[in-house]
Amino acid sequence: MDFALFANLAFNGLIEGAVIALPAVALTLVFGVMGFPNASTGDVMTAGAYAAQTGQIAMAGSIVAGVIVGSVASALLALVFYLCVFRFFQGRPSMYALVASIGLAFATRSTLTFFLGYDQRVFPIPLTRAFSFGPLRIVPSDLYILATSVGAIVLVFLLLYVTPLGRRMRAVADNPDLARSCGISSHRVLSAMWLIAGAVTGLGGILFGIKTVITPLMGWEALLPAFAAMILGGIGNPAGAIAGALTIGIAQELSTPFVGFTYKIGVGFAIMVLALVLRPSGLFNLSARVR
Amino acid sequence: MTAYLIAMAIVALIYMLLTIGLNLQYGYTGLANFGHVGSFAIGAYITALITTNGGFAYVSLPASVLGAALVAWPVALLSKRLRTDYFAIATLAASETLRLAIIEEDWITNGVHGITSIPNMSVALGLDVDPNILILTLLIAANLLAVALITRMVKSPFGRTIEAIRDDEDAVRALGKEPATFKVKVFVIGAGLAGLAGAFYAHYFSYISPEQFLPLITFYVWMAMILGGTGSILGAVAGSLVLVLFLEGSRFVRDILPGVTEVEMASVRLFVVGMALVLLTLLRPQGLMGDFRKR
Amino acid sequence: MILSLSHVAFAFGDFRVLDDVSLDVPPKEIVGLIGPNGAGKSTLFAVTSGFEKPLAGTIMLDGRDITHDGPVARARAGLGRTFQVPREFRHLTVRENLLAAAPNQTGENLLPLFLSPRRVREEERALREKVADLIAFLNLTAVKDTPSGSLSGGQKKLLELGRVLMGDPKVILLDEPFAGVNPVLIDSLVDRIRELNAQGYSFLVIEHNLRALSDLCSTMHVMDRGAMIASGAPSAVLDDPKVQEAYMGGVL
Repeated sequence: MDFALFANLAFNGLIEGAVIALPAVALTLVFGVMGFPNASTGDVMTAGAYAAQTGQIAMAGSIVAGVIVGSVASALLALVFYLCVFRFFQGRPSMYALVASIGLAFATRSTLTFFLGYDQRVFPIPLTRAFSFGPLRIVPSDLYILATSVGAIVLVFLLLYVTPLGRRMRAVADNPDLARSCGISSHRVLSAMWLIAGAVTGLGGILFGIKTVITPLMGWEALLPAFAAMILGGIGNPAGAIAGALTIGIAQELSTPFVGFTYKIGVGFAIMVLALVLRPSGLFNLSARVR
Repeated sequence: MTAYLIAMAIVALIYMLLTIGLNLQYGYTGLANFGHVGSFAIGAYITALITTNGGFAYVSLPASVLGAALVAWPVALLSKRLRTDYFAIATLAASETLRLAIIEEDWITNGVHGITSIPNMSVALGLDVDPNILILTLLIAANLLAVALITRMVKSPFGRTIEAIRDDEDAVRALGKEPATFKVKVFVIGAGLAGLAGAFYAHYFSYISPEQFLPLITFYVWMAMILGGTGSILGAVAGSLVLVLFLEGSRFVRDILPGVTEVEMASVRLFVVGMALVLLTLLRPQGLMGDFRKR
Repeated sequence: MILSLSHVAFAFGDFRVLDDVSLDVPPKEIVGLIGPNGAGKSTLFAVTSGFEKPLAGTIMLDGRDITHDGPVARARAGLGRTFQVPREFRHLTVRENLLAAAPNQTGENLLPLFLSPRRVREEERALREKVADLIAFLNLTAVKDTPSGSLSGGQKKLLELGRVLMGDPKVILLDEPFAGVNPVLIDSLVDRIRELNAQGYSFLVIEHNLRALSDLCSTMHVMDRGAMIASGAPSAVLDDPKVQEAYMGGVL
């Protein structure tokens, strides 16, 4: 057993998990409040990455400006999806919104490929040398990715659990009718939630693009692992989704020496299916809910 | 022109088999299968492997049906535990895993390069007739058989019970019937039809590769089903005709607009499919939930 | 006893919903179960019909221990139930709903469906006659070919009762059969239940309409916060101060 190899794989898995955690949190927020798995999440990631890359180049190469442009663009895209489509499916069987979200995923991706083509793109950031830390070889950009992801997640948690907006959001999630009778405008709250979900999703796409490359299919390919993370964590449980994402990220990386690179994603699916069958309420859903 | 119409009819009939199968699964039973293309791929690869190694279609056609049904069986068992939308995600994951396996296990599937020189229908059956006419005839026969079979099924006590399962599974349980037994049968039969469609596909196009079996195909079939209305066999037939008219029509559009490249046209096609799924669920929700049925 | 629950307990997570609940349904009797909202009545039905697993206790159906059976096995053993919110098969007509409820149909299996169509056809003919009688009994003739999703609340309740009867059960659990039913229909529903009782069916009925229920049942049980607080003849139970306290805050 090569300890250094596995340590590096685990670290890489941690970074991948931290990236997948962002769309997973967005998925679980939307599922918890709106009641459907939003399959357009993956392609909103892609849109965020393209917008950020375009923005970065337009803003004289500033990656911070790119991140802001990309997050804002994907937040607005998610809001438009809610206002034009998803809001009409409330109270309907989840299949409607699920099928429509697949349609929006295709529409988003095809719009991107029509105007931007299929070529891979990269974020123009300076290459940095990897340094050693014990057995680990660490690329500094990975640390920035990790820090950004952690920062974004902390921000989302503050929004959800500290601010009045978050309290209203959770009230709407628990019981929309009751919230309405208490004078909470569910429309406003839901719009805010979609903005947050979209921004987080887009940021996930940007970080994914920085870690690897930007392609039209990157988000769609990240969608199933993000679903898996959400299900592992228990629907509507953001902390669980993060734990799920890290578990899947690390498990996928650690499995590569045994199953090869191609099946790595299959490992994520297998974990998801096992979680669905063995514990549909989620492995990390410790607080049992009355539902 | 005749040749072109025959080609279109063949493609339409292949999609029709897929749509009829999905309609049995989702339209009648409520089993949301997002991995239909997986069964299609299994049928295509089984036929390709048997007939490029000297086997006849007399063996490969039934093998494709049985193989697709057999692989679908463990996936079908998941429907015992999962609610509709989770099952949809699980089946999507299953079909993507299968595609990865086709890419990775190149010692048997030739990986991303695909399998070439699959014999046409006439060669595969050892008959000295026009292969396109032959496959068209067989496809018509297969579709008629499938429609007859499924009509008999859905207009029987079996059909009543699967529709009851779609409407309310727990109420079916409370009547002392196990929904899982019905769901597994229905899923496996739908997969078998997709496997047959895959076999014809392989013979007709003579070349298959993993990138022909993307989830997009599954959603083409969903679009056809929703267009025609779930829970209606004639709807499935009409929906797949409209689908193929659209797919083929988009080629005409490109001929008329010379400035548009094939790559751009692929984007436009995907955009239209996506918007169709959105607009159909928004504006014609009966298509998705079977409220259209006349009795 | 046709149905007998002893010392049944159940919890959602840490929240105890049922605590040491015991209850008997003697043969050919109608037993009532009342209690304020959230008392655990519907949960007791879920545990009794096998949709939830009890933490402790035993459930006997006609002398057989069914505690570890699932909902399907319990239904087959002769336990019929309706739901608080009617769960009709909404795309099926009234007649199809009842036909679908018949147990052990040959035509539900694919092989005989294709291999012995004559047997399927004959069985279906007999079944249709039985269903026609049942539709007449339930006064649903006018809507027999209407998709059940568009029935009124009361008609749905009748339909659910009809579906249960198709299985010829030993005991029938009715979850709020009169809720949302217009008063005229309630009387006819009460008549139907009495008539069925006279034919030998046993019932366990959850209901908030105390007038209709106390007319109907011979024994009444009262639950509050997951526990059984009173049992006995309806008039005695309703006069019990404990019950008045729990059920209506003292005003009955």
